[in-house]
Amino acid sequence: MSLRMKPSKIGFLVTTVILVAAALYSTLAVTVFKSRTRIDDFVSTAPRVAPPSAPRPWEARQSAAVQRSVEVVPLVKEVLRETLSQRRARLGVKALQLEDMKFSYFLLNNPIIKEEENLYGTVRFMHKKHATLLNDCIICHHYRPADPAASEATRCSACHQTAFNPESPGRIGLKGAHHRQCMGCHKEWNKGPVGCTDCHAKNVPAHSELIKLTRKPEPTEVTKECLRCHDAQANEMLTSTHWLWKGPSAFTEGEEKRIDLGKATKTINNFCINVASNWPRCTNCHAGYGWRDASFDFTDKTRIDCLICHDTTGTYKKDPQGAGMPDVNVDLIMVAHNVGKPSRRTCGECHFSGGGEDPVKHGGLNPSLDFHSTSSDVHMGGLGFQCHECHKTRNHKIAGRSLALPVAEGSRTCEDCHTAVPHHGRELLNHHLNRHTEHLACMTCHNPVYAKHNPTKAFWDWSTAGDKQRKVKKNEFGIPDYNWRYGDITWEKSVKPAYAWYNGKVRRYILGDKINTRGVTLLTEPVGDINDPKSRIYPFKVMGGLQAVDTVNNYLLVPHLFGPGGYLEDLNWTKAFADGMAAAGLSYSGQYKWVETRMYLGLPHEVVAKKFALSCVQCHAGLKTERSCGRCHQDKRDVDFKKLAFQGIDFKLAHSKESDTQDLLHRTYYIDFEQLGYKGDPIEFGGRFKKLPLGWRSASKKE
Amino acid sequence: MKINRRFFLGIGGTMVGGALIVRPKKARAVRKPKAPSDPYGCLMDLTVCVGCRKCEQACNRVHGLPAPQVSFDDLRVLEHKRRPNVTAYTVVNRHYTGKLDERNLLIPTFVKVQCMHCQDPACVSACIVGALTKKDNGAVHYDDSKCMGCRYCMVACPFQIPAYDYHDPLTPQVRKSTFCYDRIIKVGGKPACAVICPVEAILFGKRSQIIKVARRRIKNDPGRYLDRIYGEYEVGGTSWLYISGDPFEKLGFLDLPSRPIPHLAETIQQGLFSYLWAPLSLFAILGGCMWTFNRKQIKGNSEPERMEDNS
Repeated sequence: MSLRMKPSKIGFLVTTVILVAAALYSTLAVTVFKSRTRIDDFVSTAPRVAPPSAPRPWEARQSAAVQRSVEVVPLVKEVLRETLSQRRARLGVKALQLEDMKFSYFLLNNPIIKEEENLYGTVRFMHKKHATLLNDCIICHHYRPADPAASEATRCSACHQTAFNPESPGRIGLKGAHHRQCMGCHKEWNKGPVGCTDCHAKNVPAHSELIKLTRKPEPTEVTKECLRCHDAQANEMLTSTHWLWKGPSAFTEGEEKRIDLGKATKTINNFCINVASNWPRCTNCHAGYGWRDASFDFTDKTRIDCLICHDTTGTYKKDPQGAGMPDVNVDLIMVAHNVGKPSRRTCGECHFSGGGEDPVKHGGLNPSLDFHSTSSDVHMGGLGFQCHECHKTRNHKIAGRSLALPVAEGSRTCEDCHTAVPHHGRELLNHHLNRHTEHLACMTCHNPVYAKHNPTKAFWDWSTAGDKQRKVKKNEFGIPDYNWRYGDITWEKSVKPAYAWYNGKVRRYILGDKINTRGVTLLTEPVGDINDPKSRIYPFKVMGGLQAVDTVNNYLLVPHLFGPGGYLEDLNWTKAFADGMAAAGLSYSGQYKWVETRMYLGLPHEVVAKKFALSCVQCHAGLKTERSCGRCHQDKRDVDFKKLAFQGIDFKLAHSKESDTQDLLHRTYYIDFEQLGYKGDPIEFGGRFKKLPLGWRSASKKE
Repeated sequence: MKINRRFFLGIGGTMVGGALIVRPKKARAVRKPKAPSDPYGCLMDLTVCVGCRKCEQACNRVHGLPAPQVSFDDLRVLEHKRRPNVTAYTVVNRHYTGKLDERNLLIPTFVKVQCMHCQDPACVSACIVGALTKKDNGAVHYDDSKCMGCRYCMVACPFQIPAYDYHDPLTPQVRKSTFCYDRIIKVGGKPACAVICPVEAILFGKRSQIIKVARRRIKNDPGRYLDRIYGEYEVGGTSWLYISGDPFEKLGFLDLPSRPIPHLAETIQQGLFSYLWAPLSLFAILGGCMWTFNRKQIKGNSEPERMEDNS
């Protein structure tokens, strides 16, 4: 009897327990929230993209490819023994055509390959591209099954399965067949990848047994443990730009042979200006530990942060103001036990949050790429690409270049995979589209708007900062338009890019250069010209801002913003500039004024599939009339040219799905041809190097 | 009987000569062939190998060998010719035979070097404790518990393959490719190097069958291959067979006789002891000598005066 409690007592106990738990949880949540809060916490209200529920067309394509790749089909025992010429003769006009192709995209991941050894990951195979380029299916589909009912082009794994099968001695296995076919052809044609890691990434062995760490290790102790086996990799890292934050600037005009430019030295932007004097905040994205001031030792291997790139758990976080040190709550041992290949998430940890918060700096790099969403990016969202699949990495040097930064450890272009004639197949439009690639970058059509899901900063006015009294309004994205620390910041979403000629070189403002006293100073600017055959039209995000200039020396000033004594705490610009310029090694006259600067940022990501790309008529309004295409294609009476010319992104639909594209709804001449140097729409006035047959307007004018 | 120098040499000469005349016939009957009847073999197609060193990596892993100083992904090691050693049972070497491609670049040919697992191995013959044995599945197997470290095998091997743990003074072993004996003894087991090869330059199977495959490949593509299977007859045949588009002499292969290396030595050795003729004839000669000497002594004792008379 004494053990029993009255129901009211139980109720009281339960309530108490719940209350205590709630209190504990809220304290915990607050601490966690505090530790996660960044200095730009005011943007944390920015809407995030939720992972979509139903798979979209490209995801369906990926999952179908995954499914196909693991299928094991019955072995074809007998093949029809005939030579290629015999087969050609037999097939005659019935030869395999592009139109016979069932699947344009394959993943090579058959379990047969991994039966004995599993060293490498899946290979992506662009079937349609190969078929188009070779234009002869039987080069690869070299034999057909003896069974007359079988398909003329069976898959590789129908004949090639497990190696060394005593029943069919001499017939090579699937792994050998793939490698011999791919590498043999690539070597013969001197095209295409031949190295192991050019096609498939290495599998990382489980490190939980290999890593021996005591309880609660220091971050540098974790690195020391990594160095036990990976000393060579650490040496590679010591010379990489992700470590030095400076490096070869081969694509910066006039500075091609320098190796000292970079974020760490003289690169300047109109976000938080420069690293000097702002180390602990800026260097929270450095792949190292403890770059607190100019005295950081760049030869100390134990300060390399291996985990920021190789974490697979998603729990590794850096302290936002900790000079690259990890958050104190991170379980370093657990993270170290689960190291693996970098992913969109690890790269995004810094690159999505360039500028301090997630979608701030780069128009096309934001966390929406981490979710599987086709409408934001066809590669990452639709086909599940990881960053390193394009940004090929060798010896910890990561290929890719940017406009914002001078450093480049290699270069990647869409053409590396898609070739200069990327529109495969024999559709009527493809010929014209492939002609476009001489004058347009892929992204110009395939990235019609940037910042598709998350708003991005468009203009940053530092001059108005410091007014604590000012009433803060919220813009249409729910983000405050003013912050007394930072000044006025304009945000945009689903923005039409700026278009400019670009030949790969960048004109760059380097700290200490004189500003443009007659107008806006361009911090980065694409080099290119309509008359330069190497130049093509690229889309850009143009970031504007007001930042301070030394009125005597006429160069831009580096403010000391973050940390004790910085502007964000003291709101004293004179002191901030004095400290910042001292750290940057330049003299400061004591007088400053605000000038407008602009910087071009590339938009190579957020590439969308043809369904969402610009349609013909969005740039060439002349094609809206029925007769335009039919003037040449008089024999194609069954083709609906209007449909062809109009296929592409539908801004109306995008707008209805809460995309901020209202201003683009009825826009014609999406690309401003006259601003780019054309007389007008090239299909009417002629292209930059020759007149097109449709140049009837200019021709009639001449007459 | 009077035994003088001429008589002694005459008798001895006749007997040794007789023995020599009789020997070969007898010996052929005596020496049993060591080659197993249906062994496994590996066919290496040198026109296919891309020199990726994955076989070295797989060998290292399955044998638990120490991690190399230079990673297996680093192909710069191919700049120098290497030999298998105690930490690497197989190595890949790159050879330039002078062939050029259409871009006027030298075409490399890669050769994987390892124990050839001879059908009639010299090392097995040389091993005085039976630590090395030729197994039925084709492997030349090394049993370290029997080995006494004489290193005769290293001297005997025509391919100079066995390596010795010189750095290990207490329990040194002779080391060479094992043909993945522990793996291939299982049903469906394959050598690690053959399995990992991305281009299947190594074909593993019954030796008789892969010789057929090799012949077929040569016949179907005579422009690609030389009409020779290295290892089919060399030193009595080897388990590892090679087909190539370049002359084997340019690829570091030795020109070896088709006679098994142990043939001469073992024939002499076994010929000497067959039917115990050698010891028997030795005893016969010695017995003859003794008998003659004894008779002379007896004779001498009984007729001392006559000798004196003669003098």
